[in-house]
Amino acid sequence: MYQSAKLKETTGFIADYAAVLLGAGVHCTRVLRNSRRICEAYGLELTMTIFASNIILTLSDPEQDEICTEVVHIRQIPVSFELNAELSALSWKVFDNKLNIAQVKEEYSQIMQKPRMNNWLVTLLVSVANACFCRLFGGDLGSMGLVFVSTFAGYLLLRFIKKLGIDHSLAVILVSFFSSFTCLGLASLPVLAGQVNVTVAVATSVLFMVPGVPLITGVIDMFENHVLIGFARLMRAILIVLCLAVGLSISMVIFRGSLLL
Amino acid sequence: MIEETIIRALCAAFAALGFGAVSNPSRRSLPFIMVLAAVGYALRYQLMQTLGFDIATATLAASLLMGFGSLWLGGRIRCPMTTLYIPALLPFVPGMYAYKAVFSIILFMQNINAPAEAFLHLNDFFLNIIVTVTVILCMTVGASLPMFIFSRRAKSLTRRTANKKTIFRG
Repeated sequence: MYQSAKLKETTGFIADYAAVLLGAGVHCTRVLRNSRRICEAYGLELTMTIFASNIILTLSDPEQDEICTEVVHIRQIPVSFELNAELSALSWKVFDNKLNIAQVKEEYSQIMQKPRMNNWLVTLLVSVANACFCRLFGGDLGSMGLVFVSTFAGYLLLRFIKKLGIDHSLAVILVSFFSSFTCLGLASLPVLAGQVNVTVAVATSVLFMVPGVPLITGVIDMFENHVLIGFARLMRAILIVLCLAVGLSISMVIFRGSLLL
Repeated sequence: MIEETIIRALCAAFAALGFGAVSNPSRRSLPFIMVLAAVGYALRYQLMQTLGFDIATATLAASLLMGFGSLWLGGRIRCPMTTLYIPALLPFVPGMYAYKAVFSIILFMQNINAPAEAFLHLNDFFLNIIVTVTVILCMTVGASLPMFIFSRRAKSLTRRTANKKTIFRG
């Protein structure tokens, strides 16, 4: 049924599919399940080993007694829940409708080409979100306003830094410093001095970069026995939190000469 | 109390929407993410304020409700549970405690020659790190539990055909 070239093509597709899903922040069990589902539709068997930055997968055709192995880098793409949902739905479509590999690839490329949410809208939503977060931590209206402005400025800087291709940890330090510095600077203006809860505002101004998604998926991976990648995701998240604290510390020392809020 | 709960629920809904927006959610899932976050946060706040629950237990109860909610809503809009409950859980991430823990380490190191002061910062570190870890564990376990209990349904939420009786072994 399968010639080697066809098996190779399917293996290449599954490798890319799994690498995109893992890069998009999907937990390992779902990646394995979706990939196996597609393989099962073609009568193939899949074995996959997932590391923090690579995947090794082997597809075997029991009828032809052929195997094909591929090693692929996990794609460094932003987290995307839409890719998670659409690529999961694609795996079911292949399983239920027995699409051939050319049809699957076409649908896959259509999903991959879907545009992400508008950047300006995301910036606005993140700023509102962080201002609301400030309210949840006991901030008043004034501190919510400060957090909104500093988050907006910080997120714009983050977008700019990402375009330059600077390392993410360094970007987090810079943005954390910039956001908290903006917040402290605005709070020290004579108009606002003594009018807002500066402590809560400054502490919240950097929280929009807390890596919530890797923290949650990391724990899910650990519970589902994918300890290696779960641990890697958690360590990456902890590193980001450390970078946040470093950026905030620098602006605290500049403004107040102390780390105490 | 009711007014404060409603305000906090709305803030949690917008926080989930905004923090979730960074992770490119499906357009159709946005209202459901907001509803899950609002209901979950309101429950957690009420449990802590009215019944005196601690933050970890209240988070566990709220995230369990959100897990079941995402299982039900995920089937209606054909989205995996995780794409609904992860963004909805983002306002629950104890970011403040996490970096207070980091600050405590820095302050501990700065006061290493003043044992009394250093001990206070060490104490702060353990307090904050324990809360951070416990809350993250509780919210993940609570929201994921329905996925394990109703695993067959949870696995086929994105399936578009009526042929749901075919069992996939994976």
